[in-house]
Amino acid sequence: MRHIELEKLRELQRNPSNIRNICILAHVDHGKTTLADSLIASNGIISNRLAGKLRYMDSLKEEQIRGITMKSSSISLFFNMDEREFLVNLIDSPGHVDFSSEVSTAVRLCDGALVVVDVVEGVCPQTHVVLRQAWLEHIRPCLVLNKIDRLITELKLTPSEAHVQIQKVLEQVNAVTGSLFSSKVLEENTDKESNCKSSEREGPLNTLYDWSAGFEEMDDSSLYFSPDQGNVVFASALDGWGFCVEHFARLYAQKTGVKMEVLRKTLWGDFYLDPKAKKMMKGAQAKGKKPVFVQLVLENVWALYDAIINRRDKDKVEKMVASQGLKIPTRDMKHADPKVVLSSICSQWLPLAHAVLSMVCSKLPSPLEINVERVERLLCPHLRRFESLPIETQALKESFLACRSEGSDVPVIVFVSKQFAVDVKSLPQNQPRPLTQDELSQRKEQAKRRHADRLARKRSTSKDRAESSSPAREPGLLTGHGEDVNMEQPGSTDTGDEDPAQCFIAFARVYSGTVKRGQRLYVMGPKYNPVNGVQLPESYALPECPTGMNHLRLCVLDDLFLLMGRELEVLEEVPAGNVLGIGGLEEHVLKSATLSSTAACPPFLPLNLEVLPIVRVAVEPTHPSQMAQLVRGMRLLNQADSCVEVLIQESGEHVLVTAGEVHLQRCLDDLRQRFAKIEIDVSAPIIPFRETIIRRPKVDMVNEDMGSQNLFAIQRRRGAKTEGRLSEDIRVEGDGLVTVTTPGKECTVSVRALPLPEGVPHLLEESVELIRSIEQFNSTLHESQDVSSTQELPEQNTLDAIRNFKRDLEDRFQGMKWKNAVSQICSFGPRRCGPNLLLNRVEGYTRPSVWQCIENIRCSAGTYRDYDNSIVSGFQLATLAGPICEEPMRGVCFSLERWETRGVQTVRSVSEGIAEVKLASLPSGDEQQSDTDSECGRSTAKEGGSVAGSERSDEGIRSDRYGSCSGQLISTMKDACRFAFQMKPQRMMAAMYTCEIQATADVLGKVYAVLSRREGRVICEEMRQGSAVFSIRASLPVAESFGFAEEIRKRTSGLASPQLVFSHWEVVTSDPYWVPTTEEEYLHFGEKADSETQAKKYVMAVRKRKGLLVEEQVVEHAEKQRTHARKK
Amino acid sequence: MSIFTPTNQVRLTNVAVVRMKKSGKRFEIACYKNKVLSWRNELERDLDEVLQTHAVFINVSKGQVAKREDLMKAFGTEDTTEICKKILAKGELQVSEKERAGQLDQVFKDVARIVADMCVNPANKRPYPPGVLERAMKDIHFSVKPGRSTKQQALEVIRQLKETMPIERALMRLRVQVGAADAQRLRPRITPFIKVVESETWNDDLELECLADPGSFRELSELLSKETRGRASLDVLSLKEVEEGDEKLE
Repeated sequence: MRHIELEKLRELQRNPSNIRNICILAHVDHGKTTLADSLIASNGIISNRLAGKLRYMDSLKEEQIRGITMKSSSISLFFNMDEREFLVNLIDSPGHVDFSSEVSTAVRLCDGALVVVDVVEGVCPQTHVVLRQAWLEHIRPCLVLNKIDRLITELKLTPSEAHVQIQKVLEQVNAVTGSLFSSKVLEENTDKESNCKSSEREGPLNTLYDWSAGFEEMDDSSLYFSPDQGNVVFASALDGWGFCVEHFARLYAQKTGVKMEVLRKTLWGDFYLDPKAKKMMKGAQAKGKKPVFVQLVLENVWALYDAIINRRDKDKVEKMVASQGLKIPTRDMKHADPKVVLSSICSQWLPLAHAVLSMVCSKLPSPLEINVERVERLLCPHLRRFESLPIETQALKESFLACRSEGSDVPVIVFVSKQFAVDVKSLPQNQPRPLTQDELSQRKEQAKRRHADRLARKRSTSKDRAESSSPAREPGLLTGHGEDVNMEQPGSTDTGDEDPAQCFIAFARVYSGTVKRGQRLYVMGPKYNPVNGVQLPESYALPECPTGMNHLRLCVLDDLFLLMGRELEVLEEVPAGNVLGIGGLEEHVLKSATLSSTAACPPFLPLNLEVLPIVRVAVEPTHPSQMAQLVRGMRLLNQADSCVEVLIQESGEHVLVTAGEVHLQRCLDDLRQRFAKIEIDVSAPIIPFRETIIRRPKVDMVNEDMGSQNLFAIQRRRGAKTEGRLSEDIRVEGDGLVTVTTPGKECTVSVRALPLPEGVPHLLEESVELIRSIEQFNSTLHESQDVSSTQELPEQNTLDAIRNFKRDLEDRFQGMKWKNAVSQICSFGPRRCGPNLLLNRVEGYTRPSVWQCIENIRCSAGTYRDYDNSIVSGFQLATLAGPICEEPMRGVCFSLERWETRGVQTVRSVSEGIAEVKLASLPSGDEQQSDTDSECGRSTAKEGGSVAGSERSDEGIRSDRYGSCSGQLISTMKDACRFAFQMKPQRMMAAMYTCEIQATADVLGKVYAVLSRREGRVICEEMRQGSAVFSIRASLPVAESFGFAEEIRKRTSGLASPQLVFSHWEVVTSDPYWVPTTEEEYLHFGEKADSETQAKKYVMAVRKRKGLLVEEQVVEHAEKQRTHARKK
Repeated sequence: MSIFTPTNQVRLTNVAVVRMKKSGKRFEIACYKNKVLSWRNELERDLDEVLQTHAVFINVSKGQVAKREDLMKAFGTEDTTEICKKILAKGELQVSEKERAGQLDQVFKDVARIVADMCVNPANKRPYPPGVLERAMKDIHFSVKPGRSTKQQALEVIRQLKETMPIERALMRLRVQVGAADAQRLRPRITPFIKVVESETWNDDLELECLADPGSFRELSELLSKETRGRASLDVLSLKEVEEGDEKLE
């Protein structure tokens, strides 16, 4: 085979009718890349001998090591059929589930697909997926039944058995296609049904549609794969052979003189050859005869294998070769390895590349035949109707269909489906290439001159070694372009080192017009709306980057490349209908984008990703100083991979979200070796929790009623807790009222914690913005004491919203316990807008309520007024970090029941002089004082107290004890809240994902098993109409979700794929501090429970991570320690 | 029996001795190793997991049990279990290797947590995860000093970390209001305390919203209260100026 010149390919690109853009799709290990190898070998790019072993399209090291393809890559091939020259842009795609996104990028750019199926394994999960993807993108598939050699050599089937097997696989594939078709028809019918009602007024035409007739109207025969239609190839990519039925039909037509048409129709199917009548008869199966396919086709192949591999019968082989008129080089014939002989004969007898490529060229559509339906689908994203687009945009449809490349009025439309990183070194500009004669002589001249220079310099300064080192690297004959000569200067090599040696190439296809190097095009972001862009001038006038358009940018196409697998060839222009690589878009394009010369072009439908990224890990640089490199690397990775998400969490962790474990591994390797080039560590990400309290449960861990049992243990336990923790300043009453006195004995506060009624926390979370504006308003009120003056009320609609919010809250606070609760609200927390409340129930103290903006109630500043802010900020601190494991609280209401200030009067009198003057600013002023105090003392309450105490002493010198008192009050209030919280049954709240799983019926049980092991709960399960797929909705704790996707895929062999979205907070039912207390529990668990509760596990994990005190003993069982005998 | 194992000698290889001197006598009890501290921290509630025997000794290694009169004299009771509890609570002991390591580890983590709480990465105004900081602290060979408070050590370590990685104290957002009388005079004196000025409005009096290092807060507040006799106000708008929510890297 000869090597195809670049010029030839360029020429072929101009004729779209002879272009085929195809991709190879299959389940993992069904032989996509091997098939691609054979096709590439037919163009002489790699040797025939190596085809199938080299895996040319797997250019990454990782791919070669693992033996799986990880990215889609394209190569342009030349094919000559019946005097017509074709250009085939072949895209190889990965088969592994984790890289399904790469399949999507490949499918989008193609018009046709080769679906490869292993005849031994049959239809596998990914085969379903790729068939569905091809279906959704409206591209026409052809089937390649691969690995037929395995039927012969591995399974040792007879030709007839093999025939049955092949038929079975074919039926399976067609069944999948059929179900796709039927579900589409059903879907359309339901659409029509709903449309019918709405459109009845428009005219009688629409009502003619009868839903029951749906199936008859649709013709589906053209969809199915059938060898007599010519869209099936039987192949063994490893041995390099393959054939269509047509191939044999032609062969036998020549030999026997039977009409080729007849043969083509009868070679596949239930026909047999009647030797007497010399006729093809129907009903081979019924009569127990050999089908024609077995007799004429399979038996020949079997005979060849038998002769070469099993019997090694040289004579017979030679006879067979001669009878087929093949010329096999004697070197191959004499080769000891029968495989070599086999592939050498087969590749001449039944050349795989020819069979596949001729099927591609004759059966798959050219870019010209692009489907109207497909165009409309591509052009109208986000469920919009095509008709709703502007007229200019609708006009583009015509140019799509025409696929013209010439003419000045043809708009350029390009779709970029992904970007991939390549080494700058491997770009063709930087590649060594043979120099022309002129350049050679020029070089010689330069070298001579340099040599002379050097000699001269040596003579003058013989000691100067530094100088001589720079020209030491002789420019070899095969370095870059002429202008690269100055690369030898030491300065420029330095810049080369810091330059990221990666650049991005966009994987794209031209749908209309011709792109030229240096052309300027609009880049449409996914949210761009063409309606805004229509009035913009055409870019032939090349306007400056349009202002005010968020999703529209201008870019320049720096380089155009012809993609040749791992090689790239520079192109000057690319006409419509071709797949190409574009360099220099990394600034403008994130992952995928639409480029066009006209602003009327809408962005294409976003890629249909089969797998959403869900495997989350946190990454950290091993050396913390390399954080910047990591961030840059992650950005690059995000651009290079269509299916990865990178983000920084609030906690400061850098999180990588990938589609699966294999994908994760690849991303990490890419980060380490290509993008960040630093060592990184991977850790499990931080899981958020909330702390809350609940009503005292009525039943214990063994579901026995607690009321009737002996509760001595509870008493004992609570006694122990209070005794150990609380000091003399703290009193606890039986009903959970906690009274705490400040260390300086000035103030005493009594606080009780209550669980908020159901629905309130949710309502509070929903109205965060509203609460914030209320707070804002109140704080401005605080500042300017004089209320009636220039206060501006918030806008009317905000006021209404606040009123509604208040009413909603009142609705939810029902019962005697919550009487007047809403009007008693002092504050929300944490951060003044969270889902916890502070109620003021101090008798005789009316503070300005939070509802000041809607009620104009004024209250005089009482005695407590000045300290009010300390109380509130104490509450804020308490809710921000609860006592269980310093996570924020949720759904807790603290009610302040008593508040006494002893000795405050004296304190006030001391600081009176100052206090009266700055009355206006006091509340806020002392708040920050104490904030700093409590910041110091946040680690432990005791420490806080001591800091406050020490401050008091030095402030005593300044005779300003005011601040210290309020500081103490803050930490006292915080402690009071925490103790009050601890007096109630405490619970953890876990973040929950809702998890949507699509699974077929046969793996349903396994899905349930995985869910229940991970504490998931199935909410609903329903069968999708028209298919055998169930969709299950379940809720799953975030803490259990790591590795969940991987496990479920493994368990179901990829048939079920979950999608996780955060949904809500849920109370973990078990008590983190649970120990057996009731009689029943003693019976069941013993005095010391052996098992930990789920909540306790969570708490321990969080406390350990945060470096908090963990109740963990160095040694659990004293007697079980190893006795270290020190021999003396 | 081999002659190399003297059966008449009992070696106290697995015994932790807790001692207490009271009324001129030394009392000892025999405990299991690694258990005494967890008893003191109230992690272990089962006394038998801590004590080898309830007997009170004069010398554990010699096996001399304390006399009853001595116990009576020193503790006022003969109940050895009660006396054991007293000795456990107050007596002195050699902290074992494991226990010491556990304590130091705890402090180390605590320091890392405080640093994470106080500092941000200046590049993106987000805190560092404690894990990163722990590693960084190990890299600069920071070792815990058991005597000093965690907060002090955290402040110390921040200073050291600044040399190897980009880390800053999280700034406080402050609002300063100074009356017209002092505004002109005080403005230049406020400047050194402030890192970033967010907004500044002059209408007669000065209103300044700024970011400042928490370390300089007290000095600033002292300056203001001293110079203006309390007519200036200083509000903390937020203690820690950090980014909230997740950010997508794109």
